[in-house]
Amino acid sequence: MERAVPLAVPLGQTEVFQALQRLHMTIFSQSVSPCGKFLAAGNNYGQIAIFSLASGLWVELGNSVLHFSLAHDGPVYSMVSTDRHLLSAGDGEVKAWLWAEMLKKGCKELWHRQPPYRTSLEVPEINALLLVPKENSLILAGGDCQLHTMDLETGTFTRVLRGHTDYIHCLALRERSPEVLSGGEDGAVRLWDLRTAKEVQTIEVYKHEECSRPHNGRWIGCLATDSDWMVCGGGPALTLWHLRSSTPTTVFPIRAPQKHVTFYQDLILSAGQGRCVNQWQLSGELKAQVPGSSPGLLSLSLNQQPAAPECKVLTAAGNSCRVDVFTNLGYRAFSLSF
Amino acid sequence: GTYTFPLSLPLQEGKYYSEEAEVDLRDPGRDYELYKYTCQELQRLMAEIQDLKSRGGKDVAIEIEERRIQSCVHFMTLKKLNRLAHIRLKKGRDQTHEAKQKVDAYHLQLQNLLYEVMHLQKEITKCLEFKSKHEEIDLVSLEEFYKEAPPDISKAEVTMGDPHQQTLARLDWELEQRKRLAEKYRECLSNKEKILKEIEVKKEYLSSLQPRLNSIMQASLPVQEYLFMPFDQAHKQYETARHLPPPLYVLFVQATAYGQACDKTLSVAIEGSVDEAKALFKPPEDSQDDESDSDAEEEQTTKRRRPTLGVQLDDKRKEMLKRHPLSVMLDLKCKDDSVLHLTFYYLMNLNIMTVKAKVTTATELITPISAGDLLSPDSVLSCLYPGDHGKKTPNPANQYQFDKVGILTLSDYVLELGHPYLWVQKLGGLHFPKEQPQQTVIADHSLSASHMETTMKLLKTRVQSRLALHKQFASLEHGIVPVTSDCQYLFPAKVVSRLVKWVTVAHEDYMELHFTKDIVDAGLAGDTNLYYMALIERGTAKLQAAVVLNPGYSSIPPVFQLCLNWKGEKTNSNDDNIRAMEGEVNVCYKELCGPWPSHQLLTNQLQRLCVLLDVYLETESHDDSVEGPKEFPQEKMCLRLFRGPSRMKPFKYNHPQGFFSHR
Repeated sequence: MERAVPLAVPLGQTEVFQALQRLHMTIFSQSVSPCGKFLAAGNNYGQIAIFSLASGLWVELGNSVLHFSLAHDGPVYSMVSTDRHLLSAGDGEVKAWLWAEMLKKGCKELWHRQPPYRTSLEVPEINALLLVPKENSLILAGGDCQLHTMDLETGTFTRVLRGHTDYIHCLALRERSPEVLSGGEDGAVRLWDLRTAKEVQTIEVYKHEECSRPHNGRWIGCLATDSDWMVCGGGPALTLWHLRSSTPTTVFPIRAPQKHVTFYQDLILSAGQGRCVNQWQLSGELKAQVPGSSPGLLSLSLNQQPAAPECKVLTAAGNSCRVDVFTNLGYRAFSLSF
Repeated sequence: GTYTFPLSLPLQEGKYYSEEAEVDLRDPGRDYELYKYTCQELQRLMAEIQDLKSRGGKDVAIEIEERRIQSCVHFMTLKKLNRLAHIRLKKGRDQTHEAKQKVDAYHLQLQNLLYEVMHLQKEITKCLEFKSKHEEIDLVSLEEFYKEAPPDISKAEVTMGDPHQQTLARLDWELEQRKRLAEKYRECLSNKEKILKEIEVKKEYLSSLQPRLNSIMQASLPVQEYLFMPFDQAHKQYETARHLPPPLYVLFVQATAYGQACDKTLSVAIEGSVDEAKALFKPPEDSQDDESDSDAEEEQTTKRRRPTLGVQLDDKRKEMLKRHPLSVMLDLKCKDDSVLHLTFYYLMNLNIMTVKAKVTTATELITPISAGDLLSPDSVLSCLYPGDHGKKTPNPANQYQFDKVGILTLSDYVLELGHPYLWVQKLGGLHFPKEQPQQTVIADHSLSASHMETTMKLLKTRVQSRLALHKQFASLEHGIVPVTSDCQYLFPAKVVSRLVKWVTVAHEDYMELHFTKDIVDAGLAGDTNLYYMALIERGTAKLQAAVVLNPGYSSIPPVFQLCLNWKGEKTNSNDDNIRAMEGEVNVCYKELCGPWPSHQLLTNQLQRLCVLLDVYLETESHDDSVEGPKEFPQEKMCLRLFRGPSRMKPFKYNHPQGFFSHR
């Protein structure tokens, strides 16, 4: 729903400041509640907002249900949900919240943990969180170039995986093995075996001519995997890889660097610089480009919770204070706003 | 045997036979028996006659005759019996009748008596229910009565026992009391009359005193001047103030009071012609004379030409917008000896006040080109309170008046008449509520008093900040960002990017720029703001900054939108770091305010932009495919170059360590 250009309203100091804050807001992360009816979004001011998807869908008002202030001191870069908790991470810490409590005002975090960092000069950020259901553990990765595993029962950090030479952007889980894939600023996608805690495969994407784009840089911003296949993007072009043979099979023809990618049914959805959510066939053909309301997108979230089939939507957020909701992948239905 | 009648017949007086009397002597039962016997005999005789007749013969006729005679006798008996029966019946009837009459008479008597009883009962009830007027009177209670009433009225020995007498006594006492009170009332009335007369006399005495006091005042004038106590001057001003219209009067009184109590730098004066003010309220007789004169004049002029419709309308407009001949002048002196001169006018037909402003400085100001609007009388007081642009009349009733004479809006006339800001109305005690339009809005002292201090402080702050900007603009136009020494800590020692241009931009041009859409859409780019364009350069990189300066600067921060031209055009829509740089000056402005009253905000923001451009250019990652060294070698000390999913550059400067980090 586009807003008409408003006439100059008498704006006092607080209104101007709030308007400026909203203009410069970036939403980094989203997470759907276990019941499937609510969406949490975290922004660069450290705030987490909870939106009610059910009421947004039927009433098309899109007001946030509850608003946290300063859940974190810094930006909330990453969030995941377990079956009862919401885990959020940003500047150095991961915090846990009870989903059931989040709808009430004044909810406090259940616990917060900080992985053992090497340096103490600057607190590194946590860019990605990954749940490993088989082990009931959480993997954190970010500014200190390492992957940390934390046991969710005890809260202890069980292992540290080293190998990246620059900070880590994204993580993906290969259920079968179980293996974790990580992509980083150093331009490499590394596979780690969780049982042996060792790096088993490295793909240096920028070294492959088909997909490297030196003017954008070599950083890997997004990663997704589906059994033997992996898709990654960022500085280099968005490429589909066959993991066992470490070969790029399809290069997707889009110039803008992609910041988020995911497999969905038989499609690949990606978003990044530019307004649109892109839908790709596995063959590399662009099936559709659906424009959103933010000038650049940083995160996509698919609500596939079985408990709420009526809220099955795709939500996209990025360089604005709005979360776009797509009920049908073909068009943007409405936007929720901080 | 045959029954024979008694031979002794009762003889009545006059010796006549009375069968009636006979009836009484006979027994009805025996008569009945006689009747039955007679009927039987008759039947027998008839049967015998029948027999004989049917037999026939010679003797028959004699026999029949005999029997016939006997039958006749029987018939006679029957007739007598019949007669007797009738008489008996009649007698019986008469007796019944008589008895009935008697009963009726008794019955009637009974009815009468009952009726009377009922009547009497009613009367009794009426008597019992009778409320005497005396019960409606609220009598004093018994104890009080016995206490207060004099013994000759209360007669305790008699009344205690007899309630009737008691009530009578109480009534007497009531009457007595009322008489006494009526007397008192008459006395008081006459007292009042007397006192009123005395007041009249004293009033006259006082009014005759006034001229004497005046003459004393006049005589003391030279003494006042000699002693430097200009009471007379203040008095004269108060004299003039009496002719002010109510809103100006409220303003005058409140401002003078505020100036005396809180702020010695405020001075108040009244300007204009008192005679004209007096002339507004000329008595009708005089105006009639004038009319006749002007009529005579008009007759002469109408022969020459008729005023056109347009001129008539123009005159009507002028009449509607007429100002009261008197105006109030307020002078606010600031610390640096600059003065804000405010002249307040009252538009009589519209019931609103307007103000004209002028700023004078101790030393003459050379106005830099871009500073044209800062201190101009038209815009220096714009939006003193948010939204108060002074272009529309605050009195909703004026619209109907305007429609009659074809005035579209007051903003066409503000240059001449002054601005009708809302705070000006409030200082004059005028309040125009939107929800319930009132017939007449009157000037209210308390409204003025409650707004005086805040408004005066805001006015001073406004003038000071505008003067500060004025000075800063002069420097900016020469490419120097004037950072004061107490703000140096916000920036690193070495700043390479330079400000090369600082110009004003028209509002429409700002709206047309392609990189300012977000600000326009957010409603932050109204026509009451001032717009500027700054250009910062380093090497081949050119950074354009479009600035929105809100009249409420510096409590409302200036808003920047950036466009960088270096290896392509980068704005907040295609480069996250440009967006972050805008956030550093727009959202994090509180760090840049400097010491109160934050006059350094704009210059600090500009200096920060220069620093940000330095960081941006020096931390740009090197493109491996391009040959040659980087255009801008990294000189800034940074812990990390990129951070987070958006790969932000380290824009935050840390003092005193001097390195750059991420927020």
